[in-house]
Amino acid sequence: MQSSPNTSAATTVLDARDVEAGYAGKTILRGLNLHVRRGEIYALLGANGAGKTTTLSLFLGFLKPSAGTVLVNGVDPFGAPADARRQLAYIPENVALYEHLSARENLAYLLDLARQHADSRSIDGALSAAGLQPEAFDRRLAGFSKGMRQKVAIALALARQVPVLLLDEPTSGLDPQATAEFNRLLNLLREQGVAILMVTHDLLSAADVADRIGFLNAGQLVEEVAASGDDRFDVRTLHRRYTELGA
Amino acid sequence: MSVITRIAREEWRALFRDRVAVVGLALLTLLMLVAALNAWEHQRNANAERARYQAQANHEFEMQPDRHPHRVAHYGHFLFRPLNPLAAFDPGIDPYTGNTLFIEAHRQNSANFGDVRQSSLLLRFGQLSPAFVLQVLAPLLLIFVGHAALARERESGTLRILLAQGITGRQLVLGKLLALSGFALLMLLPALLMLAGLVASGQAAWQPSLLLAAGYVLWLLLWSLMVVLLSGLLARSRDALLALLAVWTIGVILLPRLVPDMVSSALPLPSRFENAIHVQREYLALGNAHDPNDPTFAAFRESILKEYGVTRIEDLPVNFKGLVGFEGERLSTELFERYATATFERQAEQNRLVDHSAWLSPTLAIRRLSMTAVGTDLTSFRHFLEQGETYRYELVQRLNRLQSEKLRYADDSNPNRENRISHEHWQTFPRFDYQPQPLADTYRQTAPASLVLLVWAGLLMALTSLMGARLGTTRQ
Repeated sequence: MQSSPNTSAATTVLDARDVEAGYAGKTILRGLNLHVRRGEIYALLGANGAGKTTTLSLFLGFLKPSAGTVLVNGVDPFGAPADARRQLAYIPENVALYEHLSARENLAYLLDLARQHADSRSIDGALSAAGLQPEAFDRRLAGFSKGMRQKVAIALALARQVPVLLLDEPTSGLDPQATAEFNRLLNLLREQGVAILMVTHDLLSAADVADRIGFLNAGQLVEEVAASGDDRFDVRTLHRRYTELGA
Repeated sequence: MSVITRIAREEWRALFRDRVAVVGLALLTLLMLVAALNAWEHQRNANAERARYQAQANHEFEMQPDRHPHRVAHYGHFLFRPLNPLAAFDPGIDPYTGNTLFIEAHRQNSANFGDVRQSSLLLRFGQLSPAFVLQVLAPLLLIFVGHAALARERESGTLRILLAQGITGRQLVLGKLLALSGFALLMLLPALLMLAGLVASGQAAWQPSLLLAAGYVLWLLLWSLMVVLLSGLLARSRDALLALLAVWTIGVILLPRLVPDMVSSALPLPSRFENAIHVQREYLALGNAHDPNDPTFAAFRESILKEYGVTRIEDLPVNFKGLVGFEGERLSTELFERYATATFERQAEQNRLVDHSAWLSPTLAIRRLSMTAVGTDLTSFRHFLEQGETYRYELVQRLNRLQSEKLRYADDSNPNRENRISHEHWQTFPRFDYQPQPLADTYRQTAPASLVLLVWAGLLMALTSLMGARLGTTRQ
């Protein structure tokens, strides 16, 4: 484990500089600086209320920063939200898709909205790559487990072929096998050059898949560690640091 | 396919998988068909009946034997108001106002035999008509079907997923609006087909039919906008449903009933009984036109004698009794007109106040536009009464003229003589030919209501657009 190297502007896809933001007059983020590069998985850890989901909302353009700069692949997500969102895929903690539609129909609809008209072969390819069993392709999502929904959302992200993936507590509620499978997919996307920002409480999963881990405390990035060597991260040290921050 | 139409298509798919929407649409269509057929049948029967009675009344009037003209004037005549075929769409005030006018000398009668007075009490709950279905029930179905259009996306979390695909909030709102407006158009379709049928069969003119269709398209667009707006503004679909039901209850049910009552209290009309007493009192003061020696007609007698250069009425070349009848009818008609105009003006003033209240409840605007376009509003009724009164006056004065020209004063004053003139005279009288209001008047009268609907739709569109631009963003 080593300290984070300086980020190269040329490869930075997600960029937050000196950001302050909050809701209803309450400041949540205080001078946040966060950079995620192409082909990198960045795990943002922190206690409840530390500002993890607020950070994602900034990159999605759902929240306007009161100070600082936020860029998604060079686009201001609040100034040009539609342009910024075309650069990214987003998987919320509770994957919300259309219950009355099948997995195929969900993908076809959302890809149409993203103006990425996909034929049935590429939709099936994405669903298969996400690990969904073919017999589930035409079933309505109303009967899907959380893991299966997650796979549909991942399939959407795969099919979108965007440079950025934002994940909100992606492994929450998944069993270890599903978590491992999910991490495998993240590795696959990283290899394709996708910049992935995941906010999570799941220290083990973060240690397993992330290239860098940032600790967020009271709206500030207080520490950042990068993976190194075969063991990547010293989980004991991570855990101690994590508990010290009250997470 | 654009993003907006794709969203609308998906919304339609969701709508038609929703039993509330499908069953609601089927029930509304059934109601609309029943209402249209019932109203059309009712209107057809009413018109056939009125035409038959008018022909019978004409025949009986013309078949009178040789008679004294003044007896013919008191025998009177019946006039029936023919209905615009479009009245099947919206009966308006026709069931309440009466449609038969008995005309006679020295009296201005009001119309009688409105449906309400001839039917069971059930009609007082309101006649089922396409207009009622579209004004009251269609917005309610739109509320039940569309209240969750945006609130559901927010509640389930799909709103962020949709926006994360790179669509704008406005595109999403427009897609939902397109879907709901399409659904509204489906609700309107049976009514539009009915109008098209009436126009194609030559029963109704295309201009008022088009005006009516445009008015209802605007009305349902306005409700689609209202539903989408509140669905986007409120966090939960349950809240949106409650808010929309409150708007519907106040705007469609409460205000259209409360406003006319309030206006009636603010600008009360004298009762029919009160009016009749006043008219009778003034009428008696005018003198007795049957009596040529009535002192109130002394000045008139002097002016006639002077005009003909004689000193006695017996020496006049015309029958003075007919001239007195002529003058008496002129004076009494002026009196009736004064009271009738005052009542109509008061009613028009009441209507103007109600029309101004349409800015609070556009239901009043669509109701006004609808009744005026099909000719079942108060103005159209007044138009009939005024034509009837003109016909009455001309008929009675023609008879007075016949009395003065065809009968000698000496004979006419002798109670032992039979003073009759040939029945052929009544057969040459023109028949009552009701002329509906000119289209230009209809356009002019519907302009304020159209403006209210347009301004409401414009305002809601602006608010909906603003809501769309802010959709998904979090307030700081």
